[in-house]
Amino acid sequence: METATNDEQMVERALSGDPEAFGEIVRRWERRIFALAFGMLGREEDARDATQETFLAAFRNLRGFRGEAKVSSWLHRIAVNQCITRQRRAKVRGETSLEDEAEKNAAVFALPLDVSPARTAEKLERSVAVRRAVGSLPPDLRQVVVMKEFEELTFQQISEALELPLSTVKSRLYTALRQLQMRLQKFGK
Amino acid sequence: MPNINERPVCHRAEDLVTYLYGEASEVEARDFTEHLQQCDACRSEFGVYQQVHDSILLWRNEALGTAFSPAAVSIESTIDSTQFVQHERKLTALAALREFFSVSPLWLRAATGFAALLLCVLGALALSRSWNKPVQLANKATEPKYSQQDFDQALQKRLDEMARLNTEPTPPKANEASTKSKPTDNGNRTQLAVNRVQPKTPRPRGLNRQEREQLASDLRLVPRDDEELPLGLSDEPNQ
Repeated sequence: METATNDEQMVERALSGDPEAFGEIVRRWERRIFALAFGMLGREEDARDATQETFLAAFRNLRGFRGEAKVSSWLHRIAVNQCITRQRRAKVRGETSLEDEAEKNAAVFALPLDVSPARTAEKLERSVAVRRAVGSLPPDLRQVVVMKEFEELTFQQISEALELPLSTVKSRLYTALRQLQMRLQKFGK
Repeated sequence: MPNINERPVCHRAEDLVTYLYGEASEVEARDFTEHLQQCDACRSEFGVYQQVHDSILLWRNEALGTAFSPAAVSIESTIDSTQFVQHERKLTALAALREFFSVSPLWLRAATGFAALLLCVLGALALSRSWNKPVQLANKATEPKYSQQDFDQALQKRLDEMARLNTEPTPPKANEASTKSKPTDNGNRTQLAVNRVQPKTPRPRGLNRQEREQLASDLRLVPRDDEELPLGLSDEPNQ
């Protein structure tokens, strides 16, 4: 893929001292990484922080990138690890119940003004329910769901990024969908 | 919505997922479509998972549509400097209270609730005491303050004084009384003092009202303007 080749060239240029090369990598991948982080963490603020930390970690460990995997896969792995670490920290601190409140407060102002309050409330409730359901999945299932639903990667791309067999990716996604269906039933979807 | 908790009978779970996300080839898609018409389990699962997929997409579009703006995620400036996107989160008092209770452990919540309850009870007790005090004071003003012994002693003292005043014009009687009273106890002296007084003026046994009032004032049972009540009363109604 042209993009993949360009990414590797960008990494080589960044290693050779070109200050703009890594910036180009960031511009290409920040939206995808943000989408991944948002899907994993469920909060905009945390997703921004995780995205920044991902690229910071990638910049610091640029010399450790040996070109055996694609740059996208490498970035994805860093991003997933960052998200899992943040979630563990948040769990220890007990930061759970306010997330819904903050998310609702933020989303209220983001919805168009012509939407009725009842519809707004219904949308918010559904969003919160889906976010909770995805957030409650085990990390290995969650990252597959997020990469498929948020980043819209193909099964092949996910398989390469996570270094898993294709059938494993598909079976994990199937299991994740089944668990999501059961969780959403509880919320009265 | 059908509840799919049991393991699917059909073994084509991977094909279902491939078909659901539109990654099946033309041949595979045709084949699975025919399979769906025959397999109830797959047909049921497909419908359910399609709904889940749509819900996640909806959430994604709503969230990413408002959340992501490239200008806010300033990675390059972060690499150059340590500046991050700043956001402020102002909490109302109620939200801050909710945050406190949400992050605090169960024992802390219970302790806080108990402390609040205890404060309320103590406050109520203090209020009820402050309301009841004037009534109690009014009642106590008319009740005797001294014990019986104190009262007898005070009475005896007063009667002695009165007896001394009365015995001056009639010394013999007083002498007789005094000689008689000396060896006896307080009770006899009281009686003798009363007897001494009796012949002078025709009075009923005991003290008249005026004498009682005077005695009471002497014994300081009724507060004067510049004095406090003794024994047990810390506040006067006037203060």
